[in-house]
Amino acid sequence: MISQTAIGHLREKLGARNVLHEKEDLLVLGYDSTPGVHHLPEVVVYPTTTEQVMEAMGIARREGLPIVPRGSGTGLSGGSVPVKGGMVLCLTRMNRILEIDEENLTATAEAGVITLDLFTATAEKGLFYPPDPGSQKVSTLGGNVAENAGGLRGLKYGVTRDYVMGLKGVLPDLSVISTGGKSVKDVAGYGFKDLLVGSEGTLGIVTEITVKLVPPPKDKRTILAYFSDIRTAGEAVSRIIAAKIIPSTMEIMDRATINCVEDYVRIGLPREMAALLLIEVDGHPAPVAEEAAGVQKILEEVKAAEIHVARNAQHAASLAAARRTALSALARVSPTTLLEDATVPRSRLAETFAEIERLTEKYKLKVGTFGHAGDGNLHPTVLCDERDRDEMERAHAFYNELYEQVLAWGGTVSGEHGIGLAKKEYLARQIGEGGVKVMKRIKQSFDPEGILNPGKIFDDRDPCTKSHVEEGFRVSP
Amino acid sequence: MSLPDKKGNFKSQDAPRYDDVLQCMRCGFCLPTCPTYALTGRERSSPRGRVALARAVAEEKLEFTPAIKEEAFFCLDCRACTTACPSGVRAGEVMEICRSQAQAFYPLSKSGQAFRAFILEKMLPSPEMLEASMLPTRLYQRLGIQWLVRHLKVLKVGPGWMEKAEGMLPRLESPLRPQLPEVVPAKGEQRGRVGFFLGCVMTLMYPGVSRQTVRVLSHQGFEVVTPKQAKCCGAPHLSEGDRQTARQLALFNLDLFLSLEVDYIVTDCAGCGAALKEYEELLEGQAEHEKLTRFRSKIRDISEFLSEAGVRTEGLKPVEASVTYHEPCHLCHAQGISTQPRDLIRQIPGVELRDMKESSWCCGSAATWGLKFSDDSRQVLDRKLKNVKDTDAELLVTANPGCHLQLAWGLREAGMKQEVLHVMELFGKAIPE
Repeated sequence: MISQTAIGHLREKLGARNVLHEKEDLLVLGYDSTPGVHHLPEVVVYPTTTEQVMEAMGIARREGLPIVPRGSGTGLSGGSVPVKGGMVLCLTRMNRILEIDEENLTATAEAGVITLDLFTATAEKGLFYPPDPGSQKVSTLGGNVAENAGGLRGLKYGVTRDYVMGLKGVLPDLSVISTGGKSVKDVAGYGFKDLLVGSEGTLGIVTEITVKLVPPPKDKRTILAYFSDIRTAGEAVSRIIAAKIIPSTMEIMDRATINCVEDYVRIGLPREMAALLLIEVDGHPAPVAEEAAGVQKILEEVKAAEIHVARNAQHAASLAAARRTALSALARVSPTTLLEDATVPRSRLAETFAEIERLTEKYKLKVGTFGHAGDGNLHPTVLCDERDRDEMERAHAFYNELYEQVLAWGGTVSGEHGIGLAKKEYLARQIGEGGVKVMKRIKQSFDPEGILNPGKIFDDRDPCTKSHVEEGFRVSP
Repeated sequence: MSLPDKKGNFKSQDAPRYDDVLQCMRCGFCLPTCPTYALTGRERSSPRGRVALARAVAEEKLEFTPAIKEEAFFCLDCRACTTACPSGVRAGEVMEICRSQAQAFYPLSKSGQAFRAFILEKMLPSPEMLEASMLPTRLYQRLGIQWLVRHLKVLKVGPGWMEKAEGMLPRLESPLRPQLPEVVPAKGEQRGRVGFFLGCVMTLMYPGVSRQTVRVLSHQGFEVVTPKQAKCCGAPHLSEGDRQTARQLALFNLDLFLSLEVDYIVTDCAGCGAALKEYEELLEGQAEHEKLTRFRSKIRDISEFLSEAGVRTEGLKPVEASVTYHEPCHLCHAQGISTQPRDLIRQIPGVELRDMKESSWCCGSAATWGLKFSDDSRQVLDRKLKNVKDTDAELLVTANPGCHLQLAWGLREAGMKQEVLHVMELFGKAIPE
């Protein structure tokens, strides 16, 4: 257990309010949104400055405690679950937007800023921060950076990495690192910044982030299409892309998802349809009109059951908001929702849906599928009950077989959620033992003592003997 | 496949249902909507954290510790998390049930218990005793003692809640219950017959509001039956963790109102409305299912009722005022009634409705929460007052007596000019004498 002296030091450096170690606090900071994984930390700290992050890390090092960074805990791969106990470093109280630089089109913010707050603040200045994870109202910018979060606009605008220009943070040797900055071009040495983005808190603790902003699109059209067969929806997506139209958003929901979302939002989604595509095109008015017409033509050609154009911006926003609730709404059906993050080349979408259908039947499961169809990034979600061991095993077999196929098609095991705990085994299958070895060497050079977020992305040696681990239920095999 | 319910370390009576707790998939969508999480930034003071604590107790990973008791009572029970939760988790109700667990695990001292039992089991269930208890307060106000107390700031030396409670008191008139006729006839062509559920705080503190409600109903063509025997809805009991007395009151009111043979049962108190609508769950297994569903199908908040029935606007006189609307938690979150009061306000000629930011964010009143946590309550209230101020509206309209007391007090303290009115008081202004 962490010593009383260390608790005293932490309180002295961070303030008593920012150091928690009662069992009740530890219990509720040992999870994120990933089902089935829950481990107790020994202490939770809320630093409010980069210096305090350094102080807290120094004390953790002296105590031999692993350090696990955390934002709002919306992660879906277990990245912030303290599997080996130790110190949870919660960055939610570092939540200031430090600057919006209209001359350089950048914004600089602390790691704990809520993604939507940054979006809103930049929008007020007539600028646009495109990354938009489904949990944007809750998730933190630091968490987005750590997991390289994607989102609904990923198709046209890319993911968090594409907007990070500079980072400030603390490395495991307690040095404060600044990498990148406001210069648009910067090729000085290795790309540390890009390495840190998506490193899931295993290489350093990011405390400040400078992001690129872009001018907002001048016009936007939202089209909603319903299908009586989900494979047709997949075909529509492939054909839109093949027609060289890149919408900003192309989201899919299957029947199970449509029904759960409708149960929650009650905006009149058609419960009997097999699938829905939510498509947005944006940009300058002339090309937007042309692209929207192109999308509509393809939807008609593949014989979508119904095609609607959003009545107004408010209607479009309510549809996007509804889509954002998909995963949580699916949790209405069953006590446990296991979701995955399978991503395939877009030409394989229709086949992927067919494969999901086949496996659902084979393993006798209830599955809801939604996701970013335009990116080929799908979230097949098994609706099950973790108390039912047999069902859980069938769920694991389902994903196992699905991923085998996805990898055979040249897909990836994670489009946007990260590897964390949930997909460690699949990662090795995707990038091979050699790839994992190089990753481990990179980890080694940043964090030779293995103190930062151990047990994530790949199994590493266990450097921390003083761990207080509560056995949790592991989701993926 | 049905799986067994799990009580774990909960006491068996009135434990949260394990399935309800498991439903939480910890997405965190509740976090930005929770006033206590906004205050503390501490996960255990968030809906997700509180449900996780309840789950840990059910799974025997944790005893029902004092910290859980603390969280159960620190939760405002505003139900904003219920609105926000796509998975349908009702964290507020889980905490409400944990409050009764808290009473079982940590009983009060003998004298404390006696006092609690007197208030909850004797005084609140008896309209006559409640009315008698107000007499000294009215004398206190009439004889000028209140003036003295307030000017000499005597209560500054006492506990904070006492000064606040005194400061919140509106000028009391005599209670409405004995004055209201049992049956008030409909005006014009009769559209139906409704039972009126007169709340305790309404009759005692805001008789003027409910007088207007009955007047509005009658003007709109409804015969109004107000049974004098009606008892407290049980909301204060649920809030204090006394589910047993709440059930007794509920059973009494259930039979009483069903015997009236009215088309609908209407209330103008959001807190009562929410409690009445939840009798179905509270009395599950304790009353006939058919009776419970019939009762549930009849309960309407006044705004909900008028919006369903359609308002007769002919003959209304204009009320020239700019108005902003604060949504009581027990109306918007517990009952899902959000657009109806606004629609009603918009139908009053002359009124200009200015929506405030975060209109459905709690005002910090929350039954006795505002007194128990007076500093926290003040912070929640200040956020609300700022949003009111930004609208620059002349009137602040709401629909629940708890909010009414808190907002009126806050505005007075802040030296703001707005008057607080119930939707029915505003509507009443439009009805010619």
